[in-house]
Amino acid sequence: MIEFQNVVKRFPDGFAAVKGLDLTVHDGEICVFIGPSGCGKTTSMRMVNRLLSITEGKIMVEGRDNRDFPAEELRRKIGYAIQQIGLFPHFTVLDNIAVVPRMLGWDDTRIRKRVDELLELVGLDPDINRDKYPRQLSGGQQQRVGVARALGADPPIMLMDEPFGAIDPITREVLQEEFLQIQKEISKTIIFVTHDIDEAIKMGDRIAILRDGSLEQYDTPDNILAHPKDRFVRDFVGSDRSLKRLGLIRVHELMDPDLLPTVRLRDSVEHAKKVIAEHKVRSAFVVDEDGVLKGWIDMEGIRQSPNSLVDAMMEADYNEIGVRKNQTAREALSAMVARSFRITPVVDRKGQLLGSITLKSLQELAEQGWAEEEAGTS
Amino acid sequence: MNRIAMLGGLIAGLGFFFLPILNLKPNRLASGTSFNLLEFQGDDRYLILFILALVPLALAFRDELESRGWLLVGAGSLLFLLTLILPAMAGRMLLQDPEAYLSGGAFIRNPRILPTGGFALGLVGAYVTIFAGVRDLARAGVQSWLQALATWFAPVVAAILLLNGSFDVYSILVEFYANGAALEQKFVEHLMFVGISLLVGFVVGVGLGLWASRDERVAPIILYAVGIIQTIPSLALFGVLLVPLARLGSQQFLPVAAFFGVSAVIAIAIGASYVFLADREPGQLRIVHLLATALSAAVPLALFVGVLVSFVFRLASIGFTSGDYAGTTSTIGTLLLAAIVVWAVARWTVAPDSRLRRILRWANWALSGATVAGVIVLFVQASGSSRALGGVESLQALTIRDLGVSGIGVAPALIALTLYSLLPLVRNTYAGLNNVDNAIIDSGRGMGMTPTQRFMQIELPLAFPVIMAGVRNAGVALVGIGTVATVIGAGGLGDFVIQGIVNTSIDQILLGAIPAIGLALVLDAGLRAIEGLLTSPGIKQVQS
Repeated sequence: MIEFQNVVKRFPDGFAAVKGLDLTVHDGEICVFIGPSGCGKTTSMRMVNRLLSITEGKIMVEGRDNRDFPAEELRRKIGYAIQQIGLFPHFTVLDNIAVVPRMLGWDDTRIRKRVDELLELVGLDPDINRDKYPRQLSGGQQQRVGVARALGADPPIMLMDEPFGAIDPITREVLQEEFLQIQKEISKTIIFVTHDIDEAIKMGDRIAILRDGSLEQYDTPDNILAHPKDRFVRDFVGSDRSLKRLGLIRVHELMDPDLLPTVRLRDSVEHAKKVIAEHKVRSAFVVDEDGVLKGWIDMEGIRQSPNSLVDAMMEADYNEIGVRKNQTAREALSAMVARSFRITPVVDRKGQLLGSITLKSLQELAEQGWAEEEAGTS
Repeated sequence: MNRIAMLGGLIAGLGFFFLPILNLKPNRLASGTSFNLLEFQGDDRYLILFILALVPLALAFRDELESRGWLLVGAGSLLFLLTLILPAMAGRMLLQDPEAYLSGGAFIRNPRILPTGGFALGLVGAYVTIFAGVRDLARAGVQSWLQALATWFAPVVAAILLLNGSFDVYSILVEFYANGAALEQKFVEHLMFVGISLLVGFVVGVGLGLWASRDERVAPIILYAVGIIQTIPSLALFGVLLVPLARLGSQQFLPVAAFFGVSAVIAIAIGASYVFLADREPGQLRIVHLLATALSAAVPLALFVGVLVSFVFRLASIGFTSGDYAGTTSTIGTLLLAAIVVWAVARWTVAPDSRLRRILRWANWALSGATVAGVIVLFVQASGSSRALGGVESLQALTIRDLGVSGIGVAPALIALTLYSLLPLVRNTYAGLNNVDNAIIDSGRGMGMTPTQRFMQIELPLAFPVIMAGVRNAGVALVGIGTVATVIGAGGLGDFVIQGIVNTSIDQILLGAIPAIGLALVLDAGLRAIEGLLTSPGIKQVQS
């Protein structure tokens, strides 16, 4: 746990970068510090491991004032990853990751084991990468090593300063996903600084929005999107926050498992007609005997070839007409608008039909956000 | 098209065609008759050289030829060796009957053969051709040892022939045989004052560079100061040191030592107050403090360095040239070597922070301590012989000159050379340390590295190649500037050069210049090798 207690940072030239910050980062959570540049987010983070001194107030780390320890000892207990990565170019990957363990006096076998373990964790093959030098790695690989190095001595707390900021958007998405997976396993207490609201919403268990050195709002991403405290926060999260909120919800949370007008390939055309009529829809999904989505059938098709269901149906790949259950509602919305579907099937990775999602349900969700905002601001 | 091969062929061919290859001199000093390659009538052997020079020209355009690399190396090597051998044969023939070739009235005594422009261009062209061939081989992916063989075959054969006496007819070797013993002594002298001033310059220069990189306020002052030194002509710098050192030399040792002591205490006091009061003072006062420290430290520091350096040189020259201290010096050498080897083994073969490495580190401390002890013993031995430790009374009689400092001789040379070495050393140390990426240092800090760890493990290794480039730069420059030191009686290879200029004897100039060039090249290559050995593969520049 990290507690900021009325923390003030004033620089020698009199500029107050942080003005009385009060905030608690809970165990095992990712707390994202975000705000416009100059808001004090990086300054606040750097006071935790005393890369910057605290002018007033105090920061409690794991229940103790962080000034109780010598600075170096404190820093060795706190993982540190930065945007520029800062790998030591003259050290191999192994030596880079081993920096803190070596300072803590671990023996060689333990270090080696730990390094291999960490390389596996961040998705790099230890045998291939252990003895490489940073310049032999791609930017994304270097950042993975940077994360592994921050995790080197298994610190309970990590500070990450825009760790994925300098990486191309595609690799960044991948690294974000992977890091969330890793965090599920390791449950570190993390302060994560970024200026990208989308990254904040995606990564944060809680988001602290800072402005001119003061805490503007501190809440979960969903609450911040649904109930922005004031105009500044609302502007900061952007006018598309309803959409962003949809980005927080997974399809399987919205899916209706019962709304499932389904026919099998072997079924008769008559059966298909009955299913369509029963569900009061315009078309039914067609699955094979394993339950894998194969296409759909509608009245138009039945009229053209009234004898065979296989002839009447529209065959399609499940990737093209369905959405995956762990995609976000935002992605589902975008897919449905693009395909002009009102109802779209939800499938798992193998294409098994699980349920369906309607445009209406997505609209309602978005409207709910707007309504809440209207109520909140009036 | 292989442009380099074409260049080689052109250099050699044009040189052979337009420039004389030999000069027959009636005696050591007078100028004589020049001979062109094609002037040896009735002997067609010399045409071979010319034809060989055309071979790389022709090969340059044959890009499709797979074995061109080897052909170029072969042609170049042959040309190299024949350019050395054939004129030597011609020279012997000329010397058998010099009167026939010289104009009447020349005073003929010990006539000699001077190789001239065509000869030099022939050798250069030949070596350029070999180089072109090796480049072709490298491009074709030939193993590196074969490439090395191709590069070094001709020079090595030439060296063997040289030792064998095949080229004794050339005047430079005649000069060498006449002055061989002196050359060896002058070479050692030269090597020593370059070595010692480089070493002292290294310590002072790296120190100043470090200071400059740590304090941005003093950085411009330091860089400007060492830059100014570099602009003083070397002769003037030697001259400027003449008077003060002569004065200093006649001083009694004890008052000077007391002066050092008092000044050092004052400087330390001012420096300490500067450090401790730094936070509580307005900016202008800091600069006053800084200036006071610098001024109070500058004079005694300069004196101290001067005395120390020349004393070390005296010890070293006694140690190397007289047998009295041979035992001590060789022990020191062995200990130093052992310390370096142990350090190197610990650095590259043993994992950091393992127990073995710790033991090796202790061993290293012990060896280093023993080396220092050996040096102290040497000091005692040497100064004991010059009655320094004979008793308080003799200590009172001791003058600075007894320690080796005087207006002319080695002391001013060492001081001037040390000053000259400062610019590249300070500048490169400063640049090297300043260019270490801030993000790397920040992440080191964030991981909990202490300032010492950051400096030793991050900044120094990363700045090392740049610092070493400065050392090489300074070393090569010092070998050259060192030849000027002869004018203040410091000795060294410059003695031959200056005599040669006085006598207008090219041979004598070359006798001084060629070993100096060789020394510069070997020094550069040696330092480069050390640099390569100590630089992590992760930051090594890729050699093209």
